[in-house]
Amino acid sequence: MTVAITALCVAAAGAWLLAAAVAAIGAHLRAGLIVACAASCAGGGCALTAGVLLALHGHSAQVQLGSNLVGGASFHPTPLAAAFIALLGLVAVAIGLYAPRYHHPGIGTSAYLLVYNLGLLASIALLCASNVVTFLVAWESMALLCYLLILRHQDRPEVPQGAFLFLALGETGFVLIIAAFVILATHTGTLDLSQIAHRVHDVPAGWRTAAFLLALTGFGFKAGMVPLHIWLPAAHPVAPADGSGFLSGVIVKLGIYGIALFGFELLHGGPGWWGLVVIILGATSALLGILYALMERELKRFLAFSTIENIGVILVALGGALTFTAYGQKAIGSLLLITALYMVVNHGTYKTLLFLETGVIEHATGTRDMDKLGGLVRTLPRTAVIFLIGVFGIAALPPLNGFVSEWLLFQGLFQGFRIPSHVVGILIIVAGAAIALTAGLALNAFVRAFGIPFLGMPRTEPAAKADERGMPITGPGLLAASCVFLGIGAPLVLLTLQRVSHSITGVNIRAVLLTSKLTVLPAHADFSSLSPTYLAAFMLAMLLVPIVIYRVARPRARSRSTPVWDGGILAFKPRMQYTATTFANPVRVVFEALYQPHVDLQRASDDPAGRSGPVHYRFTVTPIFERYLYQPVVGLVKRLAGLARPLQSGDVNLYLLYVFVAVIVAYAIYAT
Amino acid sequence: MLWFLRGLRRGIVTTRYPDAIDDWTSTLPSAPAFRSAVLTDLLAARLQAACPTGALRHDAGVLVVDLGSCTGCGRCIAAGGGVVESSGEFLLSARRRDDLIKRIPINATAAEPFGGGH
Amino acid sequence: MIGEQQLDVTAAELRERALSLFGRSLHIRTVDTGSCAVCESEIRLLQAPHYDLHRLGFFFTPAPRHADLLLITGPCVRAFDNALFEVVNATPDPKAVIAVGACALGGIYPEDEFVHGALDRVVGVDVYIPGCPPSPLALLQGLLVAVGRLEERVSELSLDLDRGGP
Repeated sequence: MTVAITALCVAAAGAWLLAAAVAAIGAHLRAGLIVACAASCAGGGCALTAGVLLALHGHSAQVQLGSNLVGGASFHPTPLAAAFIALLGLVAVAIGLYAPRYHHPGIGTSAYLLVYNLGLLASIALLCASNVVTFLVAWESMALLCYLLILRHQDRPEVPQGAFLFLALGETGFVLIIAAFVILATHTGTLDLSQIAHRVHDVPAGWRTAAFLLALTGFGFKAGMVPLHIWLPAAHPVAPADGSGFLSGVIVKLGIYGIALFGFELLHGGPGWWGLVVIILGATSALLGILYALMERELKRFLAFSTIENIGVILVALGGALTFTAYGQKAIGSLLLITALYMVVNHGTYKTLLFLETGVIEHATGTRDMDKLGGLVRTLPRTAVIFLIGVFGIAALPPLNGFVSEWLLFQGLFQGFRIPSHVVGILIIVAGAAIALTAGLALNAFVRAFGIPFLGMPRTEPAAKADERGMPITGPGLLAASCVFLGIGAPLVLLTLQRVSHSITGVNIRAVLLTSKLTVLPAHADFSSLSPTYLAAFMLAMLLVPIVIYRVARPRARSRSTPVWDGGILAFKPRMQYTATTFANPVRVVFEALYQPHVDLQRASDDPAGRSGPVHYRFTVTPIFERYLYQPVVGLVKRLAGLARPLQSGDVNLYLLYVFVAVIVAYAIYAT
Repeated sequence: MLWFLRGLRRGIVTTRYPDAIDDWTSTLPSAPAFRSAVLTDLLAARLQAACPTGALRHDAGVLVVDLGSCTGCGRCIAAGGGVVESSGEFLLSARRRDDLIKRIPINATAAEPFGGGH
Repeated sequence: MIGEQQLDVTAAELRERALSLFGRSLHIRTVDTGSCAVCESEIRLLQAPHYDLHRLGFFFTPAPRHADLLLITGPCVRAFDNALFEVVNATPDPKAVIAVGACALGGIYPEDEFVHGALDRVVGVDVYIPGCPPSPLALLQGLLVAVGRLEERVSELSLDLDRGGP
């Protein structure tokens, strides 16, 4: 079994390498495209199986290629990576099923699929890496390959900017990650991750804290933690739909993987305040993410901000795990770690689903702007159903997976009173309140995201003429089925994740996590309980029972059926409907101090009723982070570079002088 | 609070209708009432001309009053020279439309109230 | 509605039936088919403390589906036909229809290409309330007659002062 798991990972990598090769050679033909995607799917299947088996079994074999320091690589999948590997596999299968109908065969597609499959390869290499150098090389490859992925349509207007932001912030994070690894490696004297984990107590506490904070920031750039998130709304809209799905579904999770790796595996937890920092950053990300999401009209930018929100929630779970463990409540800490991993898988499932369906909408109607869509539930019915399942998942509606994971998070946070420190307990409750507010706003946001494009009447001609034939359906459908399984079959999933957390933290909470009656408990037998399976059955009954009663016991009196009362309006026009902007107006008004909106109103004349010409109304949200954090930093860097410019005058004579001075100095040092 | 105290001072102002009808309702606009004994054809024609909504119609030997058209403006009372009065009746709901059409017989032998024809 | 096909039923029976259907409480939906809105003002005044509709068990509702009684004003402008038809259709049976004001009774506007002129040319009417506008007390009387709690008096009324008038 141990060997089988590693063999499956290797098989996945091999399949993706094959897919990349086939794509490079043959994807300008339809057959080549299909074969490449099939290979990608096969690799995904292997990865998914490997991940699940690793989670259940807990051990895998080690693979060593070449020597460790020079040109070699060392792989040993750990249980922590199991959930991420499984997620990677699932997303790869879904995208592999989706891509043949989404992309058109051609040179651009062939380059894109080459880069994408190599990106999958780099991701699994990263997740299986057991050596610092392997990890860093895989990380950087993954980042560069994703940069190329985003640049698919490089001649479109905003693509280079979005890709550049991704790369710039990713590289900044990479520097910090290197620093974090270097601190640990030099203090423990080894480059092997498991060895570092054993010897981490040799590292002084101050350096450990530095390593953790550097890792948190560095991996936070990739994960999309506020204020390090600005690449997400820039990069996601410009990448192709399956690329955005891959970014949001897998890549940001690799950032979470890095934080979890440092927090749990390498540093074995730490003082309680580490977790609190993560919780605070997570709660801020969640709240700001969803608030900015509500102001977005374009579907992909909206989903990007929603990813920031979900990452915030996952960070709160991770931080909670660290905090509770540090204060002695190991059971709840394990529960929150399980919740974080569960949320990672869930988010990967439904966010990828939503991005893929946005791609379908874009192909069918030509636009991603919510205000130009409408009535798609009639023209794209199957897409609408699958999108709705994704919305149910992400808005945490019962009985799907999002609901179970949010419930677990809240139950974990509500047990903050078990922590002896009052201040920490209060902070945890405040974070819980922030997440509750976020959940409410997220529901609002996703009702808007489903209602405006899908329900009502089509607002423009392309929306009315949308056609679903030839659109990919199997890939998103698979993800939708996974959402349902992850929700209703949550007991199974949680059991599996429990084994993972047992391997990581050493605490077995199986008895207080799950009862024999398929009920989930939040690490304490008498706090609360939830049975997702029975809940789903109950909800189904609640739907069916009234229908049965009506059919059986309906009054036999004469009845008259008339159309629904609609106010007596003669003919509805699409312009009478809500737009995305007006739907979110209450939130905009309440949080105006945060948005600092800039409103530009132009009238053709002074007539306040606008009778003599059109009225132009433009509303923009102030980008706070770009303006007050990034631009000053960029300005500072530019000024420093300007100061250094005289050194690079381009004058050959000056450079020869530098060489001469360097020789003198080297001679002087060598001589002494 | 002030509203409540003011109300306590003034007492209950809600009308007791349908148990009792308030006194001030005698000043409401109401349907006209006619002295049929002194109603002549000439006067009936004059009243028909005076009514702005056509509630009064002079048919052969009878003045037809359609309460459904009457707005209580009082022009017929002003033009009637004492033959027409305000009846004080304003609770005029009917189940049938015909119940609102009243016929006042004209007295052919009555003297003209304003003297000879002009 | 309750009165349409029962022209030869006695008033007492009609009253009994109305009381049994609507006696406890009634929800009213007002419809304005093109009036000058003074009748609406008088209707609105019914909710004020002086007349207090609610003590008699009447309530206003905006949804025709929840209404038992339609209070219709205005001379039925033809442009409103679709909406009027939809309101009357949407109100479930048994319902009562009351025509309020001289306009709805056909007393002000003749039938032409823009208006029907009278409500009973379009919808069957149970109670007619004349007046321009009818006083809130007249409206209350009309409502109580419609639900069978009062008996209408105008059929017995004589406007002839010399022959049994007021």
